Amino acid sequence: MTIDDEDLVARIRQALKVVIDPELGHNIVDLGFVYDVSIDDGAAHITMTATTRGCPAASFLKEGVANSASLVPGVDTVDVTMTFEPPWQPSMISPGVKSSLGFAEVN
Amino acid sequence: MIGTSLFRWAISYFAVAIAWLLLAEVLIVAGFGFPNHDIDGPDTLVVVHIVTIGWLSTALCGALFQFVPVLVARPLYAERWTLPALVLLTLGLSVLLAGFLTLGGHLNGPRWLLPVGASLLIAGFALVVANLGMTLWSARPLPGPARFVATGLACICVTASFGGLFSLVLSGTAIGAQWPDLLVSGVPIHALAGLGGWLTFTAMGVSYRLLAMFMLAPDSDARLGRLAWLAGITALAVGLVGGVLALWRMTGLNLTLLLAAAAALLSLAAHGRDVLGLYRARKRRALELNTRMSLVALASFVAAAMLSAAFVAAGSFASHVGALAFLVAFGWLTGLVLANLYKIVPFLTWLETYGPVMGRVPTPRVQDLVAERRALKWFVLFFAGSWMATLMLLVDAALGFRLAVAVVTLATLGLSEEFIRARRLADVAEPLRLPTGAAAPHLLVSRN
Repeated sequence: MTIDDEDLVARIRQALKVVIDPELGHNIVDLGFVYDVSIDDGAAHITMTATTRGCPAASFLKEGVANSASLVPGVDTVDVTMTFEPPWQPSMISPGVKSSLGFAEVN
Repeated sequence: MIGTSLFRWAISYFAVAIAWLLLAEVLIVAGFGFPNHDIDGPDTLVVVHIVTIGWLSTALCGALFQFVPVLVARPLYAERWTLPALVLLTLGLSVLLAGFLTLGGHLNGPRWLLPVGASLLIAGFALVVANLGMTLWSARPLPGPARFVATGLACICVTASFGGLFSLVLSGTAIGAQWPDLLVSGVPIHALAGLGGWLTFTAMGVSYRLLAMFMLAPDSDARLGRLAWLAGITALAVGLVGGVLALWRMTGLNLTLLLAAAAALLSLAAHGRDVLGLYRARKRRALELNTRMSLVALASFVAAAMLSAAFVAAGSFASHVGALAFLVAFGWLTGLVLANLYKIVPFLTWLETYGPVMGRVPTPRVQDLVAERRALKWFVLFFAGSWMATLMLLVDAALGFRLAVAVVTLATLGLSEEFIRARRLADVAEPLRLPTGAAAPHLLVSRN
């Protein structure tokens, strides 16, 4: 990946922060829902998850990710893959969000 | 399958259910039915069926149509059956109530009201059971919580069947005249299958997944809930199969119910241990109001079970059965349903309003649709009123009971206003309230 691509991936990750998990109330990047972002000649490939497979918000999250990534300058197309392998774990949440959700320090 | 769709009529189910609850509460406050009238008299039957079918079953059906697909990650078998089911349940209950009112001398109606009402209700529940049953069937092998729901569905079939038979007896039909003793012996089975199997067991199962989700507690251990389920189905099997056999042989019903109660206590103890385990293992330390209130409701259930055991030991269970049934119906089931509606209504409203614009504009959180501090006082009033009402029944203070239920009614009205405020996005601060592209939700039906 070129430096430009790395920069674009960082900008996509930043853009994805507009998408929140409505229940947990935090953006999906800090919650650890975004497993991978890669760029291939202007085509963004995003692999993401949700808290649970049957979650009614899952399709909205996926669509929201596609919407927000497509608004980033330099992104021509967006392809979002929803996966539950590995399943999402609370341990994937970033430390700052963990503390605001009231996680105990031992966790 | 990834994700499930929004169930269009969920909010409509909840609105109808709450209307029935308020009607039941107003009737109790007005002194209609028990304890002013006989516990098995027609007036009491009016109130009991408004609470158990109009309120609890309607709300539970609405929640299950949305939640069972989440539980098993499969789409609902036939969403088009859900509105006819709501119409049949509502119409059936209305006709059934007219039948009870006729029986009590308040109406001068024909005697076919009871069997027709019961038939409409059976048709409504059949649509519910078939829809949810086929959804579960497509997801075998079932995860733990879904097994509780499947058992609950079997129990509503038993409850409805007995209800149908009772309607033939009570309305004085020739068929019903063949089983003159059915009412005396069959009522415990009807109540056990309805309150215990359908409402309580289903609620217990759904609680496993909901509490784990809301508390961020690990629930992937296949053993979680197994003992509660096994003991529960043992209790129900002994109570229902044994009860029917005892009915047939005309003996042994009390022993059967005692054995069933013992297994039910074990199930509840195991469930309590599981919930405590989830609570201790939770990652989310700061719990939201709906979860805290669900735990308070569960405490009411535990209290009802302990009181039941104590009264059975003291030989005074029969004289306190009304108070215990009230505690189960209000402190436990109504409290649990209201607590969960306090999460489900804003959550569905959020998905409907903000889901379609996610990623394009900043959106509020589900928590921004509610004001927990304001709602807390209504929940405190609700539980305090329910416990006080139970106490008043235990000490035979009929007027005190009605006053306590007046407090419960006030709390229900307060919580209803909170649900309406959530639907109207009244607590969402500008400019997030209605961003470009978002449409305000209708009060009583989702846009889907």
